[in-house]
Amino acid sequence: MSTTIQPVNGKHAMGVSMKRKEDPRFIRGGGKYLDDFTLPGMVWLSLVHSPYPHAKIVKIDKTPALAVPGVLAVLTGEDLAAHNLAWIPTFHGYDKQMVLAVGKVLYQYQEVAGVIATSREAAQDGAEMVDVEYEPLDPVVSPYDSREDKIILRDDRENKTNHIYHWEVGKQDETNAALAASEVTIKERIVFQRCHPAPLEPCGILADMNPSTGRLTLYLTSQAPHAHRTVVSLVTGIPEDKIRVISPDLGGGFGNKVPVYPGYVVAAAASVVIGVPVKWVETRTENLTCTGFARDYHMDVEIGATKEGRVTALKVSTVADHGAFDAAADPTKYPAGLFGIVTGSYDFPAAFTQLDAYFTNKAPGGVAYRCSFRVTEASFAIERGMELLARKLNMDPSEFRLKNFVKKEQFPYPSPLGFVYDSGDYHLTLRKALDIVGYDELRKEQAEKRKRGELMGIGISTFTEAVGAGPSKHFDIMGIKMFDSAEIRVHPTGSAILRAGTKSQGQGHETTWAQIAAEELGLDPQNIMVEEGDTDTAPYGLGTYASRSTPVAGGAIALAARKIREKARKIAAHLLEAPLDDVEWENYKFQVRGQPENALTMQQIAFAAYTNPAPDSEPGLEATFYYDPPNLTFPYGAYIAVVDVDRETGFVKVRRFLAIDDCGTVINPMIVEGQIHGGLTEGFAIAFMQEIKYDEQGNNLNTNFTDYLVPTSLESPHWETSSTCTPSPHHPIGAKGVGESPNVGSPAAFVNAVMDALNPLGITHIDMPLTREKIWQACRQATTT
Amino acid sequence: MNLEYSGTETIPAGKDAVWAFITDPANIASCMPEVLESTVVDPRTFDAVVQVGVGPVRGKFKFHVVLDPQPGGDRMNMKISGGGFGSVVDLNAGADIKSDAPNSTTLDWTGQASMRGPVATVGGRVIDAQAKRVISTTFANVKAKLSPAAATT
Repeated sequence: MSTTIQPVNGKHAMGVSMKRKEDPRFIRGGGKYLDDFTLPGMVWLSLVHSPYPHAKIVKIDKTPALAVPGVLAVLTGEDLAAHNLAWIPTFHGYDKQMVLAVGKVLYQYQEVAGVIATSREAAQDGAEMVDVEYEPLDPVVSPYDSREDKIILRDDRENKTNHIYHWEVGKQDETNAALAASEVTIKERIVFQRCHPAPLEPCGILADMNPSTGRLTLYLTSQAPHAHRTVVSLVTGIPEDKIRVISPDLGGGFGNKVPVYPGYVVAAAASVVIGVPVKWVETRTENLTCTGFARDYHMDVEIGATKEGRVTALKVSTVADHGAFDAAADPTKYPAGLFGIVTGSYDFPAAFTQLDAYFTNKAPGGVAYRCSFRVTEASFAIERGMELLARKLNMDPSEFRLKNFVKKEQFPYPSPLGFVYDSGDYHLTLRKALDIVGYDELRKEQAEKRKRGELMGIGISTFTEAVGAGPSKHFDIMGIKMFDSAEIRVHPTGSAILRAGTKSQGQGHETTWAQIAAEELGLDPQNIMVEEGDTDTAPYGLGTYASRSTPVAGGAIALAARKIREKARKIAAHLLEAPLDDVEWENYKFQVRGQPENALTMQQIAFAAYTNPAPDSEPGLEATFYYDPPNLTFPYGAYIAVVDVDRETGFVKVRRFLAIDDCGTVINPMIVEGQIHGGLTEGFAIAFMQEIKYDEQGNNLNTNFTDYLVPTSLESPHWETSSTCTPSPHHPIGAKGVGESPNVGSPAAFVNAVMDALNPLGITHIDMPLTREKIWQACRQATTT
Repeated sequence: MNLEYSGTETIPAGKDAVWAFITDPANIASCMPEVLESTVVDPRTFDAVVQVGVGPVRGKFKFHVVLDPQPGGDRMNMKISGGGFGSVVDLNAGADIKSDAPNSTTLDWTGQASMRGPVATVGGRVIDAQAKRVISTTFANVKAKLSPAAATT
């Protein structure tokens, strides 16, 4: 029988830094990832990619590939068209995308053909031999060129324009008038470059159609297994009960494993047709060039203020580069995601934002890369804009922020762009950050260094996120509401199994989900097994991305556990022979009010649920809960970066980086700290090294990890972390979510710090990534002019 | 990625001999470095399989070469297209041919190369070095084959 752990400092399981239950498996090499699966009779898929960004397909000759030993078949877009699978709907269903190119290719590395062979090597050799004749067309690489409509990229669409959509929110006239009347204004084009989530494990599928049962099992690198099952059913017409999606251990996802990719469709279609398992695992280059990119927002930011430094209005006009198809991963009613959070932590009297999206000859995507649907772009825009305005006002950026924060007493705070922020104390968090980092001393040091001609900078970012999509009245994907779910079954001996509609990619759900349930039930989290990722067993949920797991599924777990606890109370009343109203849950046990000496543990109740159930209740002890959150949650933070810049080499030394996060109730402080370390490292990479860049001819120049840099521990700065806690008032346990905060908040802190360092040279803005070359060039130009 | 090259080469042979040499696809194929096999398709065209090694892009590339000698014998154009392993290379080259002495012919040449796919990501300096090696080796081979010493052997 399991034992109840003793409360530590008054806590049972919540807020305890217990070690991750999944780690022994990973550390010992016991994790099972997609490519670890092998099935009898399995064959392989390899894809042929276009070298051209824009070209007509004149001819595809399969013959040389079919002559390669081991090659079984070559599939083209026309073959898929015969099965009505040449095109599939994109993420939100507003557009469609080619599976294998038909007629023409629209971006470099687009999938053109698939080769099925008896081995991985034979499939790759066969793919090299598929002879595709192209007629090159002029590419459109810049979204600003695209909006000219001189070359129409998507002749399959009814509207002959490259313009995909216009979106806006806020009061335009009022904002324009407020800006015009403002005593001080800034206007800057701030680009958040195209980057890529680049999980260390790329995407893949093992599709297994069993002809004898008629069931299609898809082992899939999926952050949203149920959503993928539904999409496969809708696209293929296969009844959903005949489809099983198993998402095994995932080596990272970061939004990249949310969309449906051509390799998935071709492998599944091939398995259905030939009746044997088909595996496709993409290469690093395929991952970086074909699967969902992130960002690529070009934002014109305007902010007005009084001379005294009180903000008056914010206007942000964005041009979004969506690539060849509108495959951006955003909820259906939010084509620009939650970009409306762009007013950030500040109390703007007036605000307006608008966005126009365009097709280009680049890979499609726009995934929520460790970010809640375009929140990172919005946070970067406002935090850079506030920094620029502080400088123009000649105000200290911390003082400027403190002057304009939404105040604690204003919560719940209705923002001018339509959100209702749940809770926060921005002044407290920033003041704590300033205190810990020794801000005043750092400014003194900076002044001394400037006298000596040395470039030192301090950068602040005080971001607010909107996460936890989401409430069903607003949020759905292809009509499926964005609730999430949990099912808990307590076994007779007091251990339990917990299943959720989410899917961990490294977040530690096996630990934190167990801690939530353990806290609610008084059970030992070590004896609560968490299972996710198998659609045959897990309750339906929309998966893990956009910091939605704790805000949505975390709530479902707590409420499922409370349902169990309520039933357990009835059993306790039966066992204690006391009226139900006299039985209370105290110190993780049931007792007759005021009589702790006869208290019953949940283990005792569980055993009774199967051996001596209450006369008026069902045997057993289990519950399922589908949680539809009433609102988003709004985690926030105050980050401060301190840098030294070498003007002779452009090298930036990140001397200190302090992250104060407020994610409401913390389930496991150690896991939160780990999440923050990981997100800060990704934010550091985006700020200083990462960009998916295309040349003028549409060549993707960052196709592997020698060109798309991932920082190691050698490059990464030392991270200092701390926290404040303002629980979400509407969340069952007060948690807000944290996994994405560091990636959302840190890029602006880095850039603000470098720009602060370069202030004496008159440099105000450089777009990310802040490579040494860019900084050196800027310093050189500033010195010579 | 687009690259442009130009230069002047002096061949120690008469203009007629140079013209006759460079308008023969078999001769051009024999002077290009790293050619593993070549097939003359017609008097102005040949196909070649070339061993390529540019940074991480390594393997056999297939090229289709079309010679386009201009009337008058003063200018020669050439178009090379092909690729491999997902890369595409297109090269348009041309040379003005002048005789400045009885046994000396000058080629004023230009070339514009367009690269797509993995080869375009290798980086300009790596490709530049490789391209210059190919060009210099090709001209060295042409000179060697047309030199008086070669003619007498």
